[in-house]
Amino acid sequence: MRQTRLQRWLAWGVAWMAGACGSASPPPSQPSPDEVDPQGQAAVFWYQHTRERESALQEMIAQFNRENPHNIQVKGEYGGSYSHIYNKMLVGLQGGSLPQLVVAYQNQAQVYHSADGVVDLLPYMNSPKWGLSPEARADYIESFLEQDRMRGIQTAFPPNRSMEILYYNADWLRELGSDHPPQNWEEFAQFCRRAKAQPFSKAANPQRAVGYLLDMDASRLAAMVFSRGGDFIDPAQSQYNFITPEAKAALQLLVELAAEGAVEVLAEPNGDTSEFGSGQLLFAISSSSGLPFMKRAVDSGAKFAWGVAAVPYEGERPVVNVYGASVVLCRTTPEQQLAAWLFIKWFTEPEQQARWVRASGYFPARRSAASGLGAYFAENPNFQIAYGLLDYGKTEPTAPGYETVRRLVQNAMVDALDGAQLDPLLYQLTRSANATLEPE
Amino acid sequence: MKKIPLREQAIAWGFLSPALLVLLVFGIWPIAYALYISLHRWRIKQEAFIGVDHYVRALSDPGLFNGFKVTLFYALGTIPAEMVLSTGLACLLFNILRGKGFFRVLYFLPYITPVIASAVVFRTLFSPHPSSLANRFWVFWGFENQRWLYENKSAVALGLKALGFSTYPAWVDTFFPSLALVSVILYNIWVYVGYDTVILLAGLSAIPRQYYEAAEIDGASPWQSFCQITLPLISPTLFFLATVAIIGTFKAFNHIYILRTPGARDTTDVLSVVIFDQIFQNHNSGYAAALAFILFIAILVLTLVQNRVLGRRVFYGD
Amino acid sequence: MATERQSSRGKRWLTYGGLGLCGVAAGLPFVWMLLASFMTEGETLRRVLLPEQVQWANYVLAWKEADFGLYFKNSLIIAVMQVGGTLLFSLMAAYPLARIPFRGREVVFVVILGTMMVPEMVTTGPNFLLINWLNRHSPIPWLNNWPALTIPFMASAFAIFLLRQFLRGIPGELWEAARMDGAGHLRFLLQIALPLCRAPLLTVGMFTFIGSWNSLAWPMLVTNTPEWRPISVGLQQFVSEAGAEVHLQMAGAVVSTLPVLLVYFLIQKEFTEGISLSGLKA
Repeated sequence: MRQTRLQRWLAWGVAWMAGACGSASPPPSQPSPDEVDPQGQAAVFWYQHTRERESALQEMIAQFNRENPHNIQVKGEYGGSYSHIYNKMLVGLQGGSLPQLVVAYQNQAQVYHSADGVVDLLPYMNSPKWGLSPEARADYIESFLEQDRMRGIQTAFPPNRSMEILYYNADWLRELGSDHPPQNWEEFAQFCRRAKAQPFSKAANPQRAVGYLLDMDASRLAAMVFSRGGDFIDPAQSQYNFITPEAKAALQLLVELAAEGAVEVLAEPNGDTSEFGSGQLLFAISSSSGLPFMKRAVDSGAKFAWGVAAVPYEGERPVVNVYGASVVLCRTTPEQQLAAWLFIKWFTEPEQQARWVRASGYFPARRSAASGLGAYFAENPNFQIAYGLLDYGKTEPTAPGYETVRRLVQNAMVDALDGAQLDPLLYQLTRSANATLEPE
Repeated sequence: MKKIPLREQAIAWGFLSPALLVLLVFGIWPIAYALYISLHRWRIKQEAFIGVDHYVRALSDPGLFNGFKVTLFYALGTIPAEMVLSTGLACLLFNILRGKGFFRVLYFLPYITPVIASAVVFRTLFSPHPSSLANRFWVFWGFENQRWLYENKSAVALGLKALGFSTYPAWVDTFFPSLALVSVILYNIWVYVGYDTVILLAGLSAIPRQYYEAAEIDGASPWQSFCQITLPLISPTLFFLATVAIIGTFKAFNHIYILRTPGARDTTDVLSVVIFDQIFQNHNSGYAAALAFILFIAILVLTLVQNRVLGRRVFYGD
Repeated sequence: MATERQSSRGKRWLTYGGLGLCGVAAGLPFVWMLLASFMTEGETLRRVLLPEQVQWANYVLAWKEADFGLYFKNSLIIAVMQVGGTLLFSLMAAYPLARIPFRGREVVFVVILGTMMVPEMVTTGPNFLLINWLNRHSPIPWLNNWPALTIPFMASAFAIFLLRQFLRGIPGELWEAARMDGAGHLRFLLQIALPLCRAPLLTVGMFTFIGSWNSLAWPMLVTNTPEWRPISVGLQQFVSEAGAEVHLQMAGAVVSTLPVLLVYFLIQKEFTEGISLSGLKA
């Protein structure tokens, strides 16, 4: 119910923007992939992965190159970080050369699409000859695919995802009187306060104890708002809306806890990982892709029992903020595009997905990948717990201009913690956010 | 005016041609193209021609004015301090007897240390945490812990608060640099003093020894030597440094962007950062190009003014 | 006499003391970088001051993981080409700007300076388009190859400006004397002006070297393959979404900084107490 309204809202917003932008002409039509022959094609794939993830990816690419029946040769290239890749794509779209496949965040994919740089993946997914079988299609986690869909066009394809989860120090919680992670925000606040009063017995620095380090980031606030049943957008009005009881409650709680010293503002990059590992931080809320990093921090730090859980929620079920980069198919030649699609289709098959999960620590986009992950789950129980939460996923808005809104949310969080009145603040935030939806 | 022989002119252009070719192709042409971009609606790809619409919009953009303000604070904060410190340091490092090589390398280190490393160190030293070096130093003198790079209130406002004024007019925050910006300024002075010093050392070493020897024979004091020999003879270098400093600080990006924090809001957003955001956050290359052009004109005007005002004071030896 | 010596000793202590104190501040980031490069990951996370054991393995790992041998070689070749081109072309250009009063001289100078005045992020796009065009229309490939990495930087407004200042400072009498000996511009430049410009030339050379060595944005854009990847891009390998592996990153950074330090140390010896003009008076 909510999903279709979301789609309608996105369609409305984007259609308005696209029309106003002057690129009102429809993108050039693509021949149906059924007629195209991918034999012997080469495809270039730009990614941002490094070290172990890159090696695993390169191995998988080599395997595809060996085994695929069409003699398609994929070449994987490290293009730098997301922003470097984005930079390259921006200049590439203006007449340089484009790769066939490239990683992109949702808003970047939309930007590429608005410049006619990427093609719709639906014809490929639905193609009788080259597409996904109905079983395969159903196997994908629908919300992931929807995140990459806009106005009925599949602008990107999700090979993996991550989510915002709660990391907690189990030993310390036990010392503070609880044997389970906080289920709701009231418990969360209670234990933050207790943590401040009673440092962890195994902490590296016994003087230092903090309940939670707040990272001024829109995704953190989104996780807190979603878990209370709220949202950043108002589906009925098709606009941003932050004047909600959930947003206010989230900020209010943070302000209260900060005033008591139970919550502090994160002041250094990776400060939460380092303090958590040293037993000085009770809770951390951040991406699941940081699990291995957190593990290393604890193992080389205070060495205690710790776990992950859904971010505390109000209501019957948790709601977790799911996000991640997808892959886009650039507009090159029909043959190369098909070759690239065949690679990404292979890459998201359950067997490959399981392999990629083991190498990268991301969540797969297909449910049946779990059957190949038995051993991995056993070795990484925390990953398994987080994996179980995928069905409760919810995503941040993907409208054009959301990047700017993220910055506005960040500023609002800073102001809130600086003591600004919440009602006028949220009102102003809503107004500024909606201003980004207007055509230039 | 004497007519310059054609042969002389030909030689001049001949000498200039290789460098001029490179600079025209890779320096001037991109600027011209950027101007072209700024006259169109241009998000990623070229769209409609809109003439000076971007420029008109810029004139009422609070982001641009904030950018100018922050950049001006930044320039005023770094340039005079750097020039004075580096001149003093250069003279010292030129004349001390022992450890010349060691000290010269030491002071140059912040400039050659990769930005990632020096930024991490600076962030740690100036962390808002009470245990950071900056806070410990500050508390030692009887003040409160500060948030440094995360503080968007102006340094003056904080000073007033320390003196006991709990409220102050809003203009105190608008017309003075924030503590975050002051911290960024300190960082950049730290990095670039070594750079300026090296250039000045080169200038000092081009002064013929004979002049100092003659001055000593005439009974001049070190200060007199400095004022009448050193200063005039390094004035071309000082002029160079001042020009390069103005151009550099107005264009500065890397060493400022890396210290950007959410807490600082937009108080450390110099013009280059504003332009960067327009390209990468707002996906608006056309508007960004227009802003870059406005910045270019500003730098050009400043340089010409500086050339006129200071250029006359430079002593070139002929 | 005694008081004079005492006061000068006191002054010396003050000087060295001041220099030392500020020197500590100056050297701090490098020292931290060095220390961090010898720590384990855990130690960097726990923010310890000194590593318990010196982790030479970090260097070995950084060297292997990031294919440093190749990147080092690339950075070196690129830097040498940039330095050579810049020194040659910039000196040639600075000379007429300083000493030949030709028509349009001031305009040319302002135009050259003007190239320095536009923020890079706006000129990068057009430059990349240009490189792509050159890549398609020239006999040698420009992308993923040395031309894109070196030729755009073979003339530097900064260098031309600095050298012009120095050349203008050469006393007019020297030029008159050379003229009377029958020397033309080229001989004057090579035999008289060039030796006098040693300090600024070395300075320009060094700054070009440093700029080339540390430059990240442009090489990142024009290289997709490891063949011509410089070390600055290679260092990015250690920054990932799950957080930077600081200990490896710092090891890479130290290795990357050492050549720069070496170049500087060698150069600064040339900044002596001032040249002697006596030999030239003959």
